[in-house]
Amino acid sequence: MLSPFSHLWRNLVHRDQIERDLDEEVQAHVELLVDEKIRAGMNPHAARRAAALELGGVDAVKEQVREIRSGAIAEQFLQDIRYAARLLRRNPIFTLTATLSLAIGIGANTTIFTVANALLFRPPAGVVEPDRVVDIGVTRSPGGFNFNPSSYPNYLDIRERTTTLDGVYAYPLFPAAMSLGGAGNTIGAESVFGMAVTVNYFTVLGASPAAGRLFDAGDSEQPGASPIAVLSHAFWTRRFNKDLAIVGRTLTLNGHPFTVVGVAAEGFQGTGVRAGDLWVPTSMLATATSQGTGMLANRAGAWLLIGGRLKPRVSIPKATAEMDAIGRTLEREYPAQNRGARLLLLPSSPVPGNSVPVAAFLTLLMGIVSLVLVIACANLTGVLLARASARRREIAVRLAVGAGRARLMRQLFTETMMLFVLGGVGGLLLARGMTSLLVSRLPTLPFPVDVSLALDGRAIVFTTGLVLIAALLSGLAPALQASKADVVSTLKDDAQAPGRLRLRHAFVIAQVAFSILLVVVAGLFARALQRMGSMDPGFDSHGVELVALNLSEAGYTDATGPLFARELIDRVRGLPDVQSATLAAVLPGGFESLRLAGLTLPGVSSPNGPELFADWNIVEPGYFATLRIPLAGGRDFSGADRTGAQPVVIVGEGTARRLWPGKEAVGQYVLAHRGGPDPLTRALRVIGVARDPSYGTLFDGTTGLYVYVPLPQQYWSSMMIVARTKDGRRVIDEIRALVASMNSNLPIVRAQTAEDYTALGLMPQRVGVSVAGSLGLVGVLLTAIGTYGVTVYAVTRRTREIGIRIALGARRADVIGMILRQGLSLVLIGSIIGLTLAAAAGRLLATFLLGMPPIDPVTFAGAALLLAAVGLAACYVPARRASDIDAMEALRAD
Amino acid sequence: MGTHRTNLLQGTLDLLILKALGTGELHGLGVSRRIEHMTRGTFVVRPGSLFPALHRLEEAGWLVSTWQPSENNRRAKYYRLTKAGTRQLGTETAEWNRIALAIARALEA
Repeated sequence: MLSPFSHLWRNLVHRDQIERDLDEEVQAHVELLVDEKIRAGMNPHAARRAAALELGGVDAVKEQVREIRSGAIAEQFLQDIRYAARLLRRNPIFTLTATLSLAIGIGANTTIFTVANALLFRPPAGVVEPDRVVDIGVTRSPGGFNFNPSSYPNYLDIRERTTTLDGVYAYPLFPAAMSLGGAGNTIGAESVFGMAVTVNYFTVLGASPAAGRLFDAGDSEQPGASPIAVLSHAFWTRRFNKDLAIVGRTLTLNGHPFTVVGVAAEGFQGTGVRAGDLWVPTSMLATATSQGTGMLANRAGAWLLIGGRLKPRVSIPKATAEMDAIGRTLEREYPAQNRGARLLLLPSSPVPGNSVPVAAFLTLLMGIVSLVLVIACANLTGVLLARASARRREIAVRLAVGAGRARLMRQLFTETMMLFVLGGVGGLLLARGMTSLLVSRLPTLPFPVDVSLALDGRAIVFTTGLVLIAALLSGLAPALQASKADVVSTLKDDAQAPGRLRLRHAFVIAQVAFSILLVVVAGLFARALQRMGSMDPGFDSHGVELVALNLSEAGYTDATGPLFARELIDRVRGLPDVQSATLAAVLPGGFESLRLAGLTLPGVSSPNGPELFADWNIVEPGYFATLRIPLAGGRDFSGADRTGAQPVVIVGEGTARRLWPGKEAVGQYVLAHRGGPDPLTRALRVIGVARDPSYGTLFDGTTGLYVYVPLPQQYWSSMMIVARTKDGRRVIDEIRALVASMNSNLPIVRAQTAEDYTALGLMPQRVGVSVAGSLGLVGVLLTAIGTYGVTVYAVTRRTREIGIRIALGARRADVIGMILRQGLSLVLIGSIIGLTLAAAAGRLLATFLLGMPPIDPVTFAGAALLLAAVGLAACYVPARRASDIDAMEALRAD
Repeated sequence: MGTHRTNLLQGTLDLLILKALGTGELHGLGVSRRIEHMTRGTFVVRPGSLFPALHRLEEAGWLVSTWQPSENNRRAKYYRLTKAGTRQLGTETAEWNRIALAIARALEA
């Protein structure tokens, strides 16, 4: 006796023998029946007929036996797959286009999902119970998206007062560049990125060390008392080759010794995407970075992002309410520093406080890539419907010989599924390529980030789900229609049900509509970028190169820094390929902005009077000339504007209009208030007015108010060499060599062209235009194929009718016109629907369009024309063929 | 008759096949004729029902089959009850009797 499993095994593996056995058994049965009838007195011929009648068809009986066998489903499935594979091999063009279009659609979706996964969904590595971790930030416009860092004193108060959080930690908004002086012996300067974090950082997050220990409550928070560092696993691997002996050794950071106490677990980088090389305690800020001890005592100095862990069973709304109350109290207690600053508590995200705009942008991209998948599916469904009608005869025959409808549907479905599986696999491969392409295309950020865009389990599950749903949606209609085939009428004649055709037309219309939507979206992004390009940004970044340095990394102070800076820039100006050069803390159009102090006018009541918060920049003479920013009045800084001399300022036109409406700004005085423990108010004399740069970006909310101060009067250690080169020559390497020759301990933080630097702000538009543009192209191509397909099909179907028309005297032009009208009417309906959708979509895009009207006539007309041209081309070929129909042959055929 | 109309009837067919094989091994046609004979012609089992049932019972381990020469000197597949099949015949007979009794009572009431 065989166990059920051995039956299954036998049925699946020894299929041929089982089949032979069954055949023989049924044949033997027939012979026995015949013998029986003959014995009963029938003649052999009648006996055989009676036997056949009683049996009711050898194949039907065999089919019924097959269906009850164990593993019948699996066997049928294998059979379906073999059958489907044969069909797909027989139509390589169809298989290739279908697979490729699905692969592009699925691959694009997987790529965007991978990005969304990394930025929004993936739990941070090495963090215990990440859903209890929250971000706390400062917002100056409640309800808005801004989520700003806070100061160390505010952090201490929050930590003190909260009752809903188990622990509150803080970490800097950006990793700070530090010079690493080698382990033990000095082997030249190397720039590393360090994060000054509170000593409870690791404990609150629940991080564990890969070696040694992490910071804990035992480490002192007294400024300067804990010269210790924890290395990131990646840095430990890259720089020290996972040497365990590094624990306990001393590293020189910015010239000061730090003892390595441990290495964080692999992948740990807190909750964000900013990837530091090492962590030092916040208390060591003054030692490890350029910022003076003042930063720790300065309540106005906003540089820390705050995070915390919810106490068990405390809800986010409760903690948010408490944080809001703490924020209001802090605002009351310290109005000068905290005016208008509310505290916001949100679930932790890799992009703290920005998950809403990031999610909005990714949703937009997801919408774009979904469109192309929908187009690909609609295209495939159209083709499948056509194939289903071409196969009606085959299907009717199979139904006639006893195949069940369910069985038949399953088989048709297997074919569709197989295409989708091929497309899915192709899509995953494509997604791998596209994600690495995406990473390589990202502009250089001013700090290292680690966004792991690996295709993880989540992405695979997403893709699988997507494939299944898409296959179900596009396979269902054709399978249902095909299996509904009526045996008798189909076998009798090949007439077409009109309903089937209407369905195919609907799919073509959908393709046209969605393609036009994609093209319009791409066009809008492109037009927005073009507008940005043609708009005079008020400065000229072309041919300008940037080299960023942090003077404090080589130990320069407020006293020695300005002198070195002046000598450095003089030497850069002396390089043969440099036309002009200057130093600047930031550049317009980038990621960074400085808010150094509030401004008031002399004589206006202060400190509670209206203060003006502007975007500050700290520059050397020649800034305006190098960036070709025209001065509207007054003069540039000069060597005379040094320490001890009258503090001077150059204001932007916007600031001038705001402070002295209708009056001459040059010669006026403005008061700059710096908060903190040693508040400082300086009267600055306006010596010039500069044109404001005009650029629109999504990420940095500029105030539109600019002020510039000279470096000698407002020392800043983190500066960029800004050099305009002669005839587009590259000077970065020469500047590198120059810096190394002047001070070998001064590392280059980064070097890039000014165009790359300003490209960052327009990243969403650039990504948008390339994603929507390339996918729009695919969509238009697919639509062309779809329109062509349905027109060819219509011509084939109407061959006889066209033949009659020609026989009755219709001219070629009439026939062409008739076919074109039919095809183009679909394109027209699709275009109208698509443009209506695009008008609605344009409104959703408005934030990304940099002030362009969402219903841009050029884009809309262009997209409509493009689709019309493509539709015309797709219909013309079959129309020409229709006009060549030979009347006699057409009427004789079939 | 169409024996696959309901589950009850399918169960009936299984029981009839097991019963038919209770007295010795038979080939498919033999089983069919034995059932006709036993039920005095009330049940005529068509091949389309018979063969799937035989194969199902064999897979369930209640029957075994062997190829043997038939009465007309051809090869035919003969089915025979296994020990488990005999047990199953006992169980199903008892079950059937219980149901038949219950229904008879219900109809008398």
